[in-house]
Amino acid sequence: MSALGELAALRKTKGAKDTLSPSERGDNKAAIFFLAPWFIGLGLITAGPLLASLYLSFTDYSLLEAPSWIGIENYVRMLDDPRLHNSLVVTFTYVFVSVPLQLAAALGLAMVLDRGLRGLAIYRSVYYLPSLLGGSVAIAILWRQIFGTNGLVNQVLGIFGIQGQGWVSHPDYALGTLMILNVWTFGAPMIIFLAGLRQIPEMYYEASSIDGAGRVRKFVSITLPLLTPIIFFNLVLQVIGAFQAFTQAFVVSGGGGGPADSTLFYTLYLYQNGFRSFDMGYASAMAWLLLVIIAALTAANFFFSKYWVFYND
Amino acid sequence: MSHHTRTQTPGRRRGMRMAALVAAAGLALTACSGDSGVPGASNDDGDEAPAAEGEATIRFAWWGSDTRHEVTQEILDNFMEEHPDITVVSDFTDWNGYWDKLATTVAAGDTPDVITQEERYLRDYASRNVLADLNEFSGTIDLSSIDDSIIEAGQTDGGQYGIPTGVNAYAILADEQIFADAGVEMPDDETWTWEDYVEIASEISANTEDGVFGAQDYGFNEPGFAIFARQRGENLYNEDGSLGFSADTLAEWWEISLQLRDQGGTPSASETIEVDAGGPEQSLVGTNSGAMAFFWTNQLEAVSNAAGRDITLLRHPGESQYERTGMYFKPAMFYSMSANSQYPEAAATLIDYLLNSEEAAELMLSDRGLPANTEVRAAVQDQFSEIDQQAADFLADLEDEIVDGLPVPPVGAGEVAEITRRINAEVLFDRLSPQEAAEQFINEVETATGQ
Amino acid sequence: MTERQDAVSTPRENPARDASVTEAVPPGPQSQAGAASGGAGTLPVPAVAFSTDERPPLRKHRRTAGSRVRSLLKHAGLIGFGFVMLYPLLWMLSSSIKPNALIFRDPSLLPTELDLSNYTVGWNALLHPFSHYLLNSFIIVLGSVLGNLMSCSLAAYAFARLKFKGRPIWFAIMLMSIMLPIHVVIVPQYILFSQLEWINTFLPLIVPKLLATDAFFIFLMVQFFRGIPKELDEAARIDGAGHARIFFRIMLPLATPALATTAIFTFIWTWNDFFSQLIFLTNPDMYTVPVALRTFVDSTGESSWGSLFAMSIVSLIPIFLVFLFGQKYLVKGIATTGIK
Repeated sequence: MSALGELAALRKTKGAKDTLSPSERGDNKAAIFFLAPWFIGLGLITAGPLLASLYLSFTDYSLLEAPSWIGIENYVRMLDDPRLHNSLVVTFTYVFVSVPLQLAAALGLAMVLDRGLRGLAIYRSVYYLPSLLGGSVAIAILWRQIFGTNGLVNQVLGIFGIQGQGWVSHPDYALGTLMILNVWTFGAPMIIFLAGLRQIPEMYYEASSIDGAGRVRKFVSITLPLLTPIIFFNLVLQVIGAFQAFTQAFVVSGGGGGPADSTLFYTLYLYQNGFRSFDMGYASAMAWLLLVIIAALTAANFFFSKYWVFYND
Repeated sequence: MSHHTRTQTPGRRRGMRMAALVAAAGLALTACSGDSGVPGASNDDGDEAPAAEGEATIRFAWWGSDTRHEVTQEILDNFMEEHPDITVVSDFTDWNGYWDKLATTVAAGDTPDVITQEERYLRDYASRNVLADLNEFSGTIDLSSIDDSIIEAGQTDGGQYGIPTGVNAYAILADEQIFADAGVEMPDDETWTWEDYVEIASEISANTEDGVFGAQDYGFNEPGFAIFARQRGENLYNEDGSLGFSADTLAEWWEISLQLRDQGGTPSASETIEVDAGGPEQSLVGTNSGAMAFFWTNQLEAVSNAAGRDITLLRHPGESQYERTGMYFKPAMFYSMSANSQYPEAAATLIDYLLNSEEAAELMLSDRGLPANTEVRAAVQDQFSEIDQQAADFLADLEDEIVDGLPVPPVGAGEVAEITRRINAEVLFDRLSPQEAAEQFINEVETATGQ
Repeated sequence: MTERQDAVSTPRENPARDASVTEAVPPGPQSQAGAASGGAGTLPVPAVAFSTDERPPLRKHRRTAGSRVRSLLKHAGLIGFGFVMLYPLLWMLSSSIKPNALIFRDPSLLPTELDLSNYTVGWNALLHPFSHYLLNSFIIVLGSVLGNLMSCSLAAYAFARLKFKGRPIWFAIMLMSIMLPIHVVIVPQYILFSQLEWINTFLPLIVPKLLATDAFFIFLMVQFFRGIPKELDEAARIDGAGHARIFFRIMLPLATPALATTAIFTFIWTWNDFFSQLIFLTNPDMYTVPVALRTFVDSTGESSWGSLFAMSIVSLIPIFLVFLFGQKYLVKGIATTGIK
């Protein structure tokens, strides 16, 4: 589903060759070996809960009692749930604004921190530090120290005579502060970019240096194209991750997605339904709607990737 | 490998995989439907022969922070010494994690034997047959020294599904120093009205430096409204779980809150939300930046410590203004038992110990509310810290004024806290008028509680 | 796949096509690697000149006053930005050495009173000394790192290099498995593990990693494996090397940055993973760092913020060290690893 591009590409190669080469036949056998742990994991651990949640999405399930089958009622209910629609708006806004910003920050800093600078290890570690905090409960406090009424931002604004407000607790700005929080933790994609930059064979740069190419040209014609698989990876997974964003909103808003539902992420609402309202059936249905949305976007990502992602194979 | 086998191998593999999938899913689902319901009926491990229990291992689950865990563990160690045949495994975490974990373990049939419950979730669990009716263990659990009105708080759906650990009251915590700084006299809390409250708060804000306020907004917590409504002869919930107030009353409650905001008695909307999210330590009173805030009496210590000052407890305004008093004793928590406990007698023994043992109370003091057992309370009262003593005295003073307790909230009441907080934000940010907010609140709560 | 390649390479003068891999015979340290690979004999792996930490000497000649100023500005910018990045953490550090009562009453960055008791109190505040929880976390993290490195790289090789039947579909299924939020799968998972009697052991947290359930890392390695020039394994294949050999001798060494990334991320994310550890470990003896940290805070009563901040700092140290140490491997890349 999500690998339309792959699918299309594979069809093409298949169409080109009617019979399989001996090496490709060997591939099937080897694949079983290489994928054995994954297949076992899929069968034993991943698939069961996945299918169970699909089944539960057609039931009324309070967690405390046995589920009872109610058909598509949960799905119908979603059509008429204003808080769910609001949470979709919040989540989409979050994904489409913060993911590109985060990736740009990550790539930019990865370029700067790639090499040719003293103290790189320290800089990298410092910039990664915020990402180490993860979903620590401390985040809520720390974020208030920055974006609260008496936080750092307002102190700085105060120097310029501007009277700021509590950004983190204002319905119009709270989501923005969470986006900044997401951008702030750009460490993971930055590291992946750094690793990707490492993988670009030096000789390409040398060759182009001999050709007299400048920095910008090297970046555009060597770094970027060779980094596209990694950019693509980061894009796909950050999108998947951002749709499931939960912990930070949970911690910062104290679990409620407030103020006034302005940070009610989809998964936060799902969690509230499942664990606070004892409506795991509805939560499961929500999860499957989310899966369809993410899968569709991922498929789109894969589809468009063939226009801009370059592989060596 | 021939073409034939090439196509078959993956097919067979897929078949096997599917079988494994279904087996796993099936496993999961039978577990869902199997263990979590029907108390008594399907029990092969239930209440047959309590005497034959012998060695028993039971799990006791509670929420709280490190101080409570330490004390509770000590109590449990003492208990195990006294009852060498019973091993108690502790299972604790913070408030939020607690409910996630509890629901998950119940779903898997791994329910802890002794469960700490809260008013708002008690009925959710009781009505779904997760909890045992403790009347069946009246031989083991001695309730003779606990006030009937307090025991009643754990009665719902025709059984005793929880026994209060202790009681608290929702009150105003006031910082006399800020009153003095503002040159405002402390009110007589037995006679003051809601109008007085607004006036005093606004006066304090006006007379103090920027960033110090008269009061912290109260609109985020529904027990505050319950008291407001009871003063007018209404109630938050009726016995049958339906809503017991009119939209006008609720709208009035929020109107007063807006008045306070507009007159400067409380901070701006966004600051209010921020402060509310911070808990006792970051509350206005806790940070010396507000004169009054509504809290539970068992939070007095946290607020006092954070403030580093003596904090005074005050009654709600309006207690003598309308038909009756509104304040009430709230069970701090409940001890409940799993309906499917393998060792119900051992679990009952532990509950009895926690409620009635002086030794336990000496350690616990007022950590789970002022002890429900009046004899125990009297015995350990002089060991209370100064702050606990202050709270105990305050509660003792209230004893004669309080008319009755609150009925057990309906199924789904756990959501109401969230609804209140959200709609309060809508009101404070002027996105809903108090009247609209009241109507929306009623709508949402009725949906949540299935009324 | 050929089609996709063309789409990109035509307009951009695809560099990979310009330079044949074997042409680049590297100077300096690379020649060692080249010699080593030559010595191994069977695999005439071309000495690919992957990057090293040092820039080619060319650069050094151009160090002028202008570039020094530029580098100074760069440092200044990086330090300034670093401060903004670190502000919240510095605040946490400073709060952890303040007396508990002053944390919120005096929230300035510089502590007016020094008090290290948060560390001693926090360390011993729970049922076990904090080292107990650190150790528990270490066990889980270690198992997870090993598990992810092995199982995910195996699976990734299959997806990156093998043309097996139904690959796109399996690939889609793999990605799908990370699209469901944990909150709906955790209950069925708990039921499953409880049937296996794995609750209150570390098994539910480690075994899935051994079985490549972390699709993030499979996909990550797929992308890196695909970045490795295919000429390398084709050359090896012509020489009769099988998949196992190609995997161990070519792909793994060449994908060191990806493996290091996987190891570091698995370490950090497992270290920080709160929810599943909370749910699967109900016995306080089994608690891990994030679960233990939560017990300092109780929204309904009194919280030990000072202890929380102090122990948060303590728990950051191991992951910070792992990162500081591990990031070298991201940097080293291929050349120093050598190709056997």
